[in-house]
Amino acid sequence: MLVIKNLQASIQDEKQKTKSILRGINLTVKPGEVHAIMGPNGSGKSTLANVLAGREDYQIDGGTVELEDKNLLTLSPEERAAAGLFLAFQYPVEIPGVNNMYFLKAAVNSIRKQRNLSQLDAIDFLKIIKEKIKEVGMDEKFLSRAVNEGFSGGEKKRNEILQMLMLEPRLAILDETDSGLDIDALQMVAKGVNSLRDPNRSIIVVTHYQRLLDYIVPDFVHVMVKGQIIKSGDKELALELEAKGYGWLESSI
Amino acid sequence: MIDASTKDVAVLNPSPFAALRLDNPFVPEKDWLQDIQVNQLKAFLHRGFPTQKEELWKYTDVTGLAKQSYIWPKRNLESFQQKIKLEKAISIVFVNGYFSPEFSNLTALPENVICTTISDAIIQHEDRIKPYLINKMDLNRHPFAVLNGALMTDGVFILIPKNVFISVPIHFYYYNTQQTEFLTAPRNIILAEAHSEVTFIEEYTSDNEAKYFTNAVTEIHAEENARVNHYKLQAENPSATHIANIFIKQKQNSVVKSFNLSIGGRLAREDVHVLQQETGAECYLQGFYHLTRDQQHIDNHVHVDHCAMHGVSSMLYKGIMRKKSHAVFNGKVFVHKNAQHIQAHQANHNLLLSFDAEVDTKPELEIYADDVKCTHGATVGQLDSEALFYLRARGIDKDQAMALLTHAFADEVMNQIKDEEIKNYVKQRASHVEE
Ligand SMILES: Nc1ncnc2c1ncn2[C@@H]1O[C@H](COP(=O)(O)OP(=O)(O)O)[C@@H](O)[C@H]1O
Ligand SMILES: [Mg+2]
Repeated sequence: MLVIKNLQASIQDEKQKTKSILRGINLTVKPGEVHAIMGPNGSGKSTLANVLAGREDYQIDGGTVELEDKNLLTLSPEERAAAGLFLAFQYPVEIPGVNNMYFLKAAVNSIRKQRNLSQLDAIDFLKIIKEKIKEVGMDEKFLSRAVNEGFSGGEKKRNEILQMLMLEPRLAILDETDSGLDIDALQMVAKGVNSLRDPNRSIIVVTHYQRLLDYIVPDFVHVMVKGQIIKSGDKELALELEAKGYGWLESSI
Repeated sequence: MIDASTKDVAVLNPSPFAALRLDNPFVPEKDWLQDIQVNQLKAFLHRGFPTQKEELWKYTDVTGLAKQSYIWPKRNLESFQQKIKLEKAISIVFVNGYFSPEFSNLTALPENVICTTISDAIIQHEDRIKPYLINKMDLNRHPFAVLNGALMTDGVFILIPKNVFISVPIHFYYYNTQQTEFLTAPRNIILAEAHSEVTFIEEYTSDNEAKYFTNAVTEIHAEENARVNHYKLQAENPSATHIANIFIKQKQNSVVKSFNLSIGGRLAREDVHVLQQETGAECYLQGFYHLTRDQQHIDNHVHVDHCAMHGVSSMLYKGIMRKKSHAVFNGKVFVHKNAQHIQAHQANHNLLLSFDAEVDTKPELEIYADDVKCTHGATVGQLDSEALFYLRARGIDKDQAMALLTHAFADEVMNQIKDEEIKNYVKQRASHVEE
């Protein structure tokens, strides 16, 4: 599904100084697997997620990324989405003036178009969205509002999961979708993610806390520190991290 | 005779205007009208075209107009098709400046309302219209209004009597087809008597490529408790020059809404001047400008004079600039002494979509009363790159994502239009931009 080899990325700060963030990431995710990426703040987890989604602010300094044999790094963000990649953002942006429902329909149909599928008409679309919005426990009134505008933190995260359910990605990356959620919302998110679990789909969960992993049980856990994956293991590693923190690993590099 | 000897003749060649005035085919011959036209032309020529040394014209160069040659347009008798139309409207169509009864439709006009051309009103309603035509305009501030007075072509005269409410909008449609350079100077006068209500749309457009010059003046007089909804749509061709002065005079508790769409022309200058003469008047001024071509220049000057207590004014203008275009916005709220308890808000927001585009924006407040609530602000920005990425990450392609965001930007002001049919019409009009 996803093969990342020696990925390096940097950013130019305001003073035009180059700051290297990802310093040789290697990661292979097979179909049907769930991977968790953990690590201290600032280690580059969101950068990795954004680079995979195609954010142009970052410069790719080396390495390769393949998604189902496609060279991901040459594709535009919209082509990556059509290829099946979905990123649930850590900080979903508010877009005043763009209606949430309209946006969702445009997104679904853009992806269908790129995949040579027929366009969903308003009626079919409405049927599907009403079903999915229940699953994430959102009120339908959020559909008639502007995208994320004035949504609480939790509502924004639910809206991300709603989009994920509508777009049915092949590879979903959830960037700290659990942070700031109460236990009900957390379970809802987990339920949404688990409903997507299937042998042809892969999921990467970026998280700070082991808590989410009680609900979305990962096949692999990776620890990212200073732009590198320094340790990988199974779900026991998450428990160990919870108990010991990251200090013992950081000192090892 | 015209006395232009005191002016710099190299910059100002008076002969075309003088000749034009002598054989104006649009307005009937009346001695009083001749006198006023002679005087206004004299005054204008004496003053000369404004230059960029004048504060009000700092960013807009109109000296090219002094070097152009002008003739009157010819009547066009061929038929034409309005590309988009309002479903229900009283429509008054002018082709190349000439009233075209065959394309106009006044059947929905209530009997007690006067709605006719200026030239007809000069004959049929001379006493009613004369005071407005002989009224002197401020030569220094509104030189083009004075020039309009000298060379007035035809336009619309509306008088809504006391307590009359017209539910159907009145649509003035100025449409140009002539392929050679010419000048028109439309004049519209709208008198809304006490407790009356009217909605009208003045639209300027063309299907030609001629470098013509439209120099329009619209006067709105809202008497006590009158409600006037005004829409001005400027969609002239890419070579045209459009200069417009809109004067709004408000009496007690009147409410005027004026929406100004400006997308056409090579050079456009729109002055809206509101004068609140009595207490409790409210005006809502909105504008949207969209510049899509290299060298396109659109300048909006919006000025509100609060002369009486308890007045309200609200200004929201938004603009999008592409390519090497240049927009200018100047909003001014002037609160006169003793005009207490005024609420005035003004905002101007600009979206630059190219590195070559430029905007000069200046919101101004001048307050001589002490108990007022005023806010103002202006922004210039680019498309939100985070939002753009978010939309693209959901599969929406770059062009569509940009269109979604620019529409969202425009919609904030478009959605101020409460009449659904007119809103749709204005939105359609706005999306017919020539690139
Ligand atoms: N757009 C950006 N501009 C400047 N610095 C950035 C940007 N994105 C990330 N960084 C920096 O890169 C490092 C990694 O950030 P991030 O990927 O957000 O870490 P994490 O998600 O693991 O907390 C941090 O030091 C952060 O400040
Ligand atoms: Mg992060």
